[in-house]
Amino acid sequence: MAENKLSWTELRRALANRAGVSEKEANLFLQAFNAQLIEALKQDKQVKINGLGIFRLQAVAPRKSVNVSSGEEITIEGYNKIAFMPEAGVKELVEKGTVAKQEQTAPAVREDIDPLKKLGAQADEIVDILGELGQMPGDVQGTKDEVPESPENPESPENPENPESPESPEKPENPEEPEKPESPESPENPEEPEMHTSQESTPEKPKYHFMRDTLICVVVLLMLLLVGYFFLRHELSGWINDFVNGQPKTENVQGDNVQSTVQGDNVQGDNVQSTMYEAPSVEEELLLTEEITEGSRLAWIAKKHYGNKVYWPYLYEANKDRITNPSKIAIGTPIRVPKLTAAQRDTTRAEFQALRERAYAATEE
Amino acid sequence: MIASATGLSKKKVEELISTNNAILRETLMSGKAVQLQGLGTLEVKAKKERSIVHPRTGERAVVPSKNQLVFRPVTQIKDELKKI
Repeated sequence: MAENKLSWTELRRALANRAGVSEKEANLFLQAFNAQLIEALKQDKQVKINGLGIFRLQAVAPRKSVNVSSGEEITIEGYNKIAFMPEAGVKELVEKGTVAKQEQTAPAVREDIDPLKKLGAQADEIVDILGELGQMPGDVQGTKDEVPESPENPESPENPENPESPESPEKPENPEEPEKPESPESPENPEEPEMHTSQESTPEKPKYHFMRDTLICVVVLLMLLLVGYFFLRHELSGWINDFVNGQPKTENVQGDNVQSTVQGDNVQGDNVQSTMYEAPSVEEELLLTEEITEGSRLAWIAKKHYGNKVYWPYLYEANKDRITNPSKIAIGTPIRVPKLTAAQRDTTRAEFQALRERAYAATEE
Repeated sequence: MIASATGLSKKKVEELISTNNAILRETLMSGKAVQLQGLGTLEVKAKKERSIVHPRTGERAVVPSKNQLVFRPVTQIKDELKKI
């Protein structure tokens, strides 16, 4: 067996030790348990194991497909498959990362599970899990505090400026655009995590589902905020670069129009419309920014966002200031991914050829 | 039902189930997979972060990476259940 796998024998042994039965009995039990699980799956289509999760039989409907070699249409028969859904607490623990190794070294705590107090013990376990989960809202709040702050920083200087001198700086437009969709969210945030923690302290089962829902809500909100924050950051950095280079943006003219409509929207609080309206102008420049992670390359990023890795020289071109050698990029380097025009996608153009040669030359450095 | 099949007492079986679950949980938490003979494997898989596009607004977003608990049934069981 591979090292990172708990084999059947090991499981049997661990169970025998922990529960104080012979290995033979443990084996008997595990086999009966598995057989029972399968039987129940066949009969009821769904088996819930408390403290672990739900095994469910899922029907996959028949669907049409095409034979790859002959091009004929064929029908793929419907079938059943097993789906496993971990229980909420277990899922959260797993998602957070698998660092809880200490638990394994301290099995004594769990050994005193009395069969008579089984329910009580389960409640205790849930309390444990909740305790660990309880740390999460803290984190969530921590990051949340950071996130809303940054949108506010650019906001405070820029909002008063806008009505007074709409023409002078190009500054306000860029930061303002992504900030709109966020502002309606930020007021809600501080409340939610608190509600959340108060609920977590009551470890009763019926509330468990409700708590999971709120947790999911909070996580979704956090993710939205983060996304907004990323957009904002890239806009800012993009703008700063432009400013340093002293290149006035063509957007400047459009910007004023955008600005006025945006402000109108803002008054009405109709943020759905404003988001939709703003989205294209943001994307004109930049699709997004991605960080180089371990093992990732410009070619991969190009394939991911442009659909073909031959376009990677554009990424190099757009990030020249940060990259000296495209084949050796430091992990964590943010890569700006510009939007490609149809002309730029034409790989036969001489400009692209030149660009590619330059990029390849850089890899030799 | 397990009790009648194995000849163990009901209490004992209950105890075994909860202990079993605890072991499974702890093992999975520590990043190991668990092999259940004749049934399948429970393992923790790392999901990479991926970028998604909002269908309505065309907005691009990045889903952060996370770990997920997955179950892979043994082929035999898989086939057996397919036909039901």
